[in-house]
Amino acid sequence: MDYNVYIPKLAKIIEIKEEVGGSRPIKSFRTHFINKNDFSHRCGQSAMISVLGKGESMISISSSPLVKDYLQFSILKMGRVTTALHEMQVGNVIGIRGPYGNGFPIEEWKGKNLVFIGGGIGLAPIWSVLNTALGKREDYGDLILIYGARTSKDLVFNDELKELKKKITVFLSVDVEEEGWKEFVGFVPQNVTDKKPSPKNSITVTCGPPIMIKFVIKALKDLGFEDEQIYTTVENKMKCGIGKCGRCNIGKHYVCKDGPVYSWAQLKNLPQEY
Amino acid sequence: MEKILTKKSFSKWVKKLESYKIYAPVKNDDLWNYEIIDIPESIQPDYPNTVLSPKKIIFPQREIFLEFKASNEEGLEVKEILPEERPAIIFGVRPCDARALTLTDNVFKGDFEDPYYWKRRNQTILIGLTCNIPPSFDCFCLSVGGSPHSKDGLDILMTDLEDKYYIESLTKKGNQLINLAKDCFEEPKVMDKKDLEKIQANSEIQIKRQIKDIKKIPKKLKGMFDTPFWDKESLSCIQCGICTYLCPTCHCFDINDEVASSAPLKGKRVRTWDNCQFPDFTMHSSGHNPRPDKASRLRQRILHKFQYFVELYENFQCVGCGRCISKCPVGIDIIEVLDKVRDYGL
Repeated sequence: MDYNVYIPKLAKIIEIKEEVGGSRPIKSFRTHFINKNDFSHRCGQSAMISVLGKGESMISISSSPLVKDYLQFSILKMGRVTTALHEMQVGNVIGIRGPYGNGFPIEEWKGKNLVFIGGGIGLAPIWSVLNTALGKREDYGDLILIYGARTSKDLVFNDELKELKKKITVFLSVDVEEEGWKEFVGFVPQNVTDKKPSPKNSITVTCGPPIMIKFVIKALKDLGFEDEQIYTTVENKMKCGIGKCGRCNIGKHYVCKDGPVYSWAQLKNLPQEY
Repeated sequence: MEKILTKKSFSKWVKKLESYKIYAPVKNDDLWNYEIIDIPESIQPDYPNTVLSPKKIIFPQREIFLEFKASNEEGLEVKEILPEERPAIIFGVRPCDARALTLTDNVFKGDFEDPYYWKRRNQTILIGLTCNIPPSFDCFCLSVGGSPHSKDGLDILMTDLEDKYYIESLTKKGNQLINLAKDCFEEPKVMDKKDLEKIQANSEIQIKRQIKDIKKIPKKLKGMFDTPFWDKESLSCIQCGICTYLCPTCHCFDINDEVASSAPLKGKRVRTWDNCQFPDFTMHSSGHNPRPDKASRLRQRILHKFQYFVELYENFQCVGCGRCISKCPVGIDIIEVLDKVRDYGL
């Protein structure tokens, strides 16, 4: 073997953007490897991020593979490692190993309409595939984004969303009514039912909290989507990222290397252990 | 290569192997465990099975992956720490425990080879000992594809013929060890071979416990995920984790950073054994836990060994050593659980 799978490559944080404040803060980190290497990812893949001294955490890569200048991770402050990341400054050094996982089969989706459905921080993995489709606009049909969060302050990529609205159809939502909000009020699955995306020649990509995914799938089935047209991502606790440490499995599948992307046709046959 | 080694010549042979690090079962406080041996005479191959399998030598309970420290140049420095190179010999490995390593090999190879595991694995020579009589009342190796004289994973298999050992060398590494001390060995006679066959056949008859129709179990388990069976079977479990801790095939692990100094930063990243029977094993940082109770964790242990592993590698992830049965403080018996699985009415 020519390399050690457990040794992270060092990367410098070159930009930090505060996406969401408050008690559930989200920041986007753009990073640059210190030494040149052959890291290249597919949309929907993740990487194991090290804060040396704190540990590692599996984070989805939110930048498109078409972007060559940096890798972006959009991270909700939650546990030990993500809390440490939120305290870091531009110029600090982290470790990155990967990329891991299967990613979205976007090559198979050429010529199709893509409907992206996200909730909260779930927009991060979608961001990578959405921006790749935008970058190869001629390869795909209509692009639609249905995205929501608890409040308007919890929506990530707010500035980019304004720009995105000029290019594709974007439907936003917040869970409860708030002053000045002109778009949909309600949960993301309700917005899906309300906007009725067409199943014709379409693929849907849903990322968000498990409970949201469950009801979005139900809404999509009611609209006539087939199991094979519905894609989602699964997350479980991970330590190694390479199918050995034994904790992220759903049946014989290790989410870290066999997932995190599953079609509903695949996922519905796996035990509910996520 | 097949040879005869008299018991008198045994320590003479071991002395010739002094360039190797030698492990053998040692009795301490009535418990047998593998330790590094300095005096060849202290090796006593006649022992019941060790409490911990030789897994702990290839895949230690705690091992350092890397060291990190703050540096002026790039902010951080990371140094890979691989295990030392010195070749090792493990004496007196029970055939089930050697087979266990061949099963674990599947996990640590593949798309992402584990350099720490393979460095130790490749430099370790396994010398096994036929179980003339079962080392435990709970042995059931025959049910899961093994036997008391299985050669899987071994470099040499020794069989005790009272005043001598019948030596079956199975690999190049095994042959090399014999060639290091040719004058210690004799050619086997026809009678020796006959004695060997008799003892090995008899060793199988001695195994009293078994799981009948085990081939039906993987398919059966597939339909039992959402049944109340697991609640009932796990009622008495106290989540001590001894079953997987002692299991020669269990390989789940954790990775953590140990900090010696926070300013300037200095520390190590270490791998330690982990345990699917512990509640926080699968708990997300949000607090959500996909295996939230002991029923789902016992189910994971059984399904991993007797369904998922079979689907992935066409083998049970169990070698029938019986440790998890003998040492369970509340008497959960994997043979009884699997018997009930087989007979469960769906």
